[in-house]
Amino acid sequence: MCGAHAAVRTLVGELVEQNSHPTMIDMEAGLEHLSRGTLRHADCVLLVIEPYFKSMETGARMTALARELGIAHVYALANKVRSRSDSEALQEFCRKRDMSLLAEIPYDEALLAAERAGRAPLDFQADSPAVAELQRLAGELDSLGGAKR
Amino acid sequence: MKIAVAGKGGSGKTTIAGTLARLMARRGVDGMVAIDGDSNPNLALTLGFPADSISSLKPMPRSVLRRFTDEEGQKRVGLADPPDVVLRHYGIGAPDGITLLLMGTIDHAGGG
Repeated sequence: MCGAHAAVRTLVGELVEQNSHPTMIDMEAGLEHLSRGTLRHADCVLLVIEPYFKSMETGARMTALARELGIAHVYALANKVRSRSDSEALQEFCRKRDMSLLAEIPYDEALLAAERAGRAPLDFQADSPAVAELQRLAGELDSLGGAKR
Repeated sequence: MKIAVAGKGGSGKTTIAGTLARLMARRGVDGMVAIDGDSNPNLALTLGFPADSISSLKPMPRSVLRRFTDEEGQKRVGLADPPDVVLRHYGIGAPDGITLLLMGTIDHAGGG
């Protein structure tokens, strides 16, 4: 195992456990932070999936790991949804695998343009379709958090 | 509420994490902390730091962790200081009142 990555994982785990602030963690790609329990003190895990099989399958594995850790709220977030059939495939997969799909973020050229311009999506085009769906999601998470703020 | 965003590389999780953090802060969630646990410090960009400022942002040094022996004689690794001290020393002020903690480059000597 790589020492540098293990140190990062330890540090993230300690900060999540001990700090008392509302916290948003952008995790490294992959499963290790779940299989090693780094995130066991998170209240909510959002698993980003894309509308193709390998991605959804990874999401299903991560959902199982996150639930094993005892995390209260485990949700799938679909990203880069381009069509009605994408949406239906996502919903069917999530239903079959007992995943709860909290948001479907549309494929959005504005995010690519923001990235190319070196800007945050919110500063580049605050009313883009993807940002609008994230806005709705922020509201749901906020009410989910409720007293836990 | 502590929210972790995870997924495959390239899924857009960093864009989602950064944008969500700011939208929640704008809704009035106070004292939001954003942790970049990925090895590429891209969260800063989606939080709204200018692209040309990112390389000058300071990640947390290895010294925030220390080894100690617990009551049962087990060797462990933990935070050297209380989390609020860590936040005060290494937190980077981001838009909408967010505090960013960068882990990305803690001792990269070992490689990936």
